[in-house]
Amino acid sequence: MNMDQEKLSGMIIDYIDGKLNEADKQLIEQELVKNAEAYKLYEQLKELIQVMDQSKKIEPSEKLKQKFDAFLQAEIDLEQKSKTVFFTPAWYRAAAAVALLVVGGGVGYWISQQNQQHAELLALQKEMKETRRLVLAQMNNDQSASQRMLGVMAAYESVQTDRPDDEIVDALVTTMNTDGNSNVRLAAIEALSKFTEEEKVRKALVQSLSAQKDPVVQIALIQLLVQMKEKEAVKSFERIIDDEQSLPAVKDEAHAGIFKLS
Amino acid sequence: MKKQILAIALLLVATGVFAQEFKLAKTSGKLMISEVNNVTIEGYDGKEIVFSSMDGAREKDKRAEGLRAISAMGLEDNTGIGLSVKDNGNTVEVYQMKKMDGPKVKILVPKGVSILYSHSSPYGNSVKFRNVSNEIEISTVHNSVHLDNVTGPLMVKTVHGSIDVIFGTTINNPISIVSVHGAVDVTLPATTKANLAMSTSWGEMFVDPAIKIEFDGQGEWKKYGSNKVNGKLNGGGLEMQLSSTHNNIYLRKK
Repeated sequence: MNMDQEKLSGMIIDYIDGKLNEADKQLIEQELVKNAEAYKLYEQLKELIQVMDQSKKIEPSEKLKQKFDAFLQAEIDLEQKSKTVFFTPAWYRAAAAVALLVVGGGVGYWISQQNQQHAELLALQKEMKETRRLVLAQMNNDQSASQRMLGVMAAYESVQTDRPDDEIVDALVTTMNTDGNSNVRLAAIEALSKFTEEEKVRKALVQSLSAQKDPVVQIALIQLLVQMKEKEAVKSFERIIDDEQSLPAVKDEAHAGIFKLS
Repeated sequence: MKKQILAIALLLVATGVFAQEFKLAKTSGKLMISEVNNVTIEGYDGKEIVFSSMDGAREKDKRAEGLRAISAMGLEDNTGIGLSVKDNGNTVEVYQMKKMDGPKVKILVPKGVSILYSHSSPYGNSVKFRNVSNEIEISTVHNSVHLDNVTGPLMVKTVHGSIDVIFGTTINNPISIVSVHGAVDVTLPATTKANLAMSTSWGEMFVDPAIKIEFDGQGEWKKYGSNKVNGKLNGGGLEMQLSSTHNNIYLRKK
């Protein structure tokens, strides 16, 4: 029988190693006897295996091992890196998901922020209304002049010069004209002096002069109208000078006022 | 010396005996005193407003016996001391029967009652308040005003009279003291925290060196014929306005 070369060498190796069963062993021995080439192969393989067995006993040097380990580690690292690269699309997806969450959350936050601002604005408006209500109530306290004065001061504080609140301004004008206490009327005039840019307030101040009977208030009004350079007031000043009821000090102030305005 | 003291004591007792009184139970509300020419008002811890005449034994008008005193205002002397007192519940109105002169009156006022004093006739002299720890509102034309050991709130205005105020240890918000021709003279604890606004057109302002004013920006010094100071005392606090158009303002340390 003519075994093919490869199978033969494989069987010869196993024969040398003593791994063949009895049948194969006899077969190989017969072949080695019959076939000179097979025997030659057997001799070569036997020699090779002997060398290999000997070389097995040679331990690789320590340095070599380290080098090898380092090399192996490098390979493993490379492998792992390539693994990361392998997952990149998934990472992108995760990132996209996170980004979506962030943007969504952001938009939601922005909307809620807008709502909150709106709510805060409403609360502020409500608070302003409440403040105004309290201030107006305090200005109407008919039991205590000092409370009315504090009300006037609070009204003055609660309104900004560039944005006069009609209700507050009207209340201050009413107080200036009708409050029973001169000190409170003075405070109202002082408060209204904050809004002299308003045509309505200027008119009210000019008109008020003819209604005021208390010299203290008359003098304060004349001084304010002069400070405002309100030429319309000159006629009122002249009326005060002509009025026999007017106190000399008030007439003096009116004279000085006419002098300064003309 | 001992005799003199005894004599004074006797005199006081005698005055006490002859002083006529009118009492009105009241612990809150407002006492409104109008046109009473000569009056001293004192705060005290009682539960009734006590009106008393300080004139001692007045000569009785024999012709008026059995008659009642009335006035053009439709008032009646219901106190026996020349005052008409009208109790409206929350307010008590007090008028003087005679237009000129009139009785010398002392009124004791419970702590919870606030006081409004107004006077416009030229026949008054001065009004005095002592130990009042409630709101005082004063409006006079000719009368001078003297306030001693008061706390405020104070709303005081006179045209011709001067205003003298000595504050107690505490001061209540707000304080507004205004005169046209009279001096404004205020004594307060140096530790008072206040937002101070002082102004005069023709007068001057004098302040105790111990009272430090932190000026708010610049005063309107440049304004012709007007002198206005806005500042804080001890960092600011209660509102305090002092003004005299033609006279001086004095701010003293207690």
